[in-house]
Amino acid sequence: MTKLIYLGCLSKTRYQETCKNAIKIINYLDPNYTVLDDVPCCGALSYHIGSDMELKDHVEYVNNWFELNDVSEIVTICAGCYNYLTKYYSQFIGKDFKVKVKHFLQFLAEPENLSKLDLKYSGKNLKVSYHDACHLRNAVIPILEEPRQILNSIENIEVREMENNKTNSICCGAGGGVYSIFKENSDYNSKLIFDQLKRGKILLTACPFCFTALTRIREEYQIKKSVIKFEDFIVNIMEGADPLNE
Amino acid sequence: MNENGKKLYEKVKRNVEVSQEEGTLEKQFGNFWKFACTIKTRQHDLKYLYEDSSREFVDQNRENLVKMRVDFVDHMESYVEQCIEIMRKKNFIVYYAKTNEEAQKIFMQELGDAKIIYKSKSTEAKDIGIIDVLKKNEIKIKETDLGDVLVQLFEYKLPSFQVGPGAHFTEEEIANKIKEIYGIELEPKAQAIVDYFRNTYRNELLNDVKISLTSANAISAEDGTIVLGENEGNISLITRATEKHIVVCGITKIVPTIFDAILVTKLQSRINNVSFNYISLISGPSNTSDIQGTSVQGMYGAKEVVVILVDDWRTKAARENLIYQDFLKCIGCKSCIYPCTASRAFGNIYASKYGLGATAIIRDYIHNGIEAAVNDGLFLCTGCENCYHWCPVSINCSEILKDMKKEATEKGLAPPHLEQYKEKIFKDKNPFL
Repeated sequence: MTKLIYLGCLSKTRYQETCKNAIKIINYLDPNYTVLDDVPCCGALSYHIGSDMELKDHVEYVNNWFELNDVSEIVTICAGCYNYLTKYYSQFIGKDFKVKVKHFLQFLAEPENLSKLDLKYSGKNLKVSYHDACHLRNAVIPILEEPRQILNSIENIEVREMENNKTNSICCGAGGGVYSIFKENSDYNSKLIFDQLKRGKILLTACPFCFTALTRIREEYQIKKSVIKFEDFIVNIMEGADPLNE
Repeated sequence: MNENGKKLYEKVKRNVEVSQEEGTLEKQFGNFWKFACTIKTRQHDLKYLYEDSSREFVDQNRENLVKMRVDFVDHMESYVEQCIEIMRKKNFIVYYAKTNEEAQKIFMQELGDAKIIYKSKSTEAKDIGIIDVLKKNEIKIKETDLGDVLVQLFEYKLPSFQVGPGAHFTEEEIANKIKEIYGIELEPKAQAIVDYFRNTYRNELLNDVKISLTSANAISAEDGTIVLGENEGNISLITRATEKHIVVCGITKIVPTIFDAILVTKLQSRINNVSFNYISLISGPSNTSDIQGTSVQGMYGAKEVVVILVDDWRTKAARENLIYQDFLKCIGCKSCIYPCTASRAFGNIYASKYGLGATAIIRDYIHNGIEAAVNDGLFLCTGCENCYHWCPVSINCSEILKDMKKEATEKGLAPPHLEQYKEKIFKDKNPFL
């Protein structure tokens, strides 16, 4: 039985530091989780552009790979993978999909994990805002409360909700492959997200797609507030480092 | 990607560029639209009137509304029958048109030799192709909603906001236009502009209307009552001070009871931040029985009320489980437009001749096929599902659009980058390598 850390193509390719941090946290909580080589893409980006036949073939290929590697449980750090694996795999192959899939935030929010982590921020009261990614809020089992539970469990961290949050949150404009074609969508919408970040000093996101879009806009507009991936933020807190020092 | 796909991609790309360019009509509309959507998404809506936000109002009523619409779609044929039967008993002239073409033909017959028609705002009339057929037959269309009057005045051809079609014109622009066309100098203030139209147009609406056209916000099947909401009074005038009032709408405007119809209308008002100062409940033509109890039609109001209920794509979508079947539940409230990521970013280039946003693109797909939808900006949708979260009847436009994107891809119409992603996922098992 393999417990797999499913990093997701985007994080694996572009955000290796985040991957290392995620592995560090997950393994601290459960050393049985492992990373494997040549993990195939879940196929999320192909859903609206592939035929049902192509999609099913791909899902079967990935599922066979899971079976071959005896994967029984997955923790993924990618919002897109979580949404896709939980929504569409059983749609395409029904009960043949036996892997138990959790998102990193769900895994972290489990009470025993939260108490084991026992997180404390060493500085003064820090106000953070969490951006609800579409992939997480739209999933079959939506992830809405978990990030808040995690953040509220950290001493000296205060969650400042964005004006639009949970199922009302603003999309960063990078989904559905639109980012690769028409960045103008995220130009406007990602900026809108920052505009809502009134009192929070840090914008946290658990989606690598949102992170990519938000980081670009932050640089373009030279916004002083930080955008930090959830995994990186948690590791900083765990290690007593200041998350504000990027 | 085939030649057609390339052309469409280039066209949408150009549209996007134009929409970002200062000074273009698209950019001007975009600025207005971004502002309108942001206010709405932030739920700053009519807070001086209500304690709850429109979103909260929707959330409170969603469960019942979904149940009501699902029941309607499941029993569409019997609700339509029930509605037609009672309407005929109430002296409406009712037609059931199987197709848009049939509806257009009936409409032209009912128009007789009239050469002019006064109408209120109506997406349904566009959907059913009435506007196109009127233009083809050189019938003069006189808009009565001030927004539409302005759109006509400016000869604005781009898609605009269905609820406030002229809301993106500034006071200065309108005053200048009036000067240019009518030679009248007005103070560039909303009040002066409204006064001008009240003084020049109201008499015509009271005295000259012979045939008027409206759609319906909702129609109740149990008593055949047509519900029409408005602010300006134009609908009240043209549905009363007329010889013949023609109502054209899809059969999906029907709801089971009058309470459902009122709730739907109330929702439309809350969601669009319009107060609907007048709500008309029309249950038949004007009538009096004051002379010896003899019922005579056509006292002061409309002598005839003609209702053309159109099926066209609707029963087929339900029976054949077509990809837009869920769209049958739509109550036309427009709640999906405001929180739409693509609509906010792209304004009236993510739109069709039926209006702004996903539902207008779905309508274009239904009537004009997948190429039309790609041309409307289908691939600008991020699939964020905000439309679904805000929809009072839980329609997932995003899912419908995903299926449309699939069809577009199969027909070689997907943008090149997405094609490359697909290749990389299926072959290299990583799209970002």
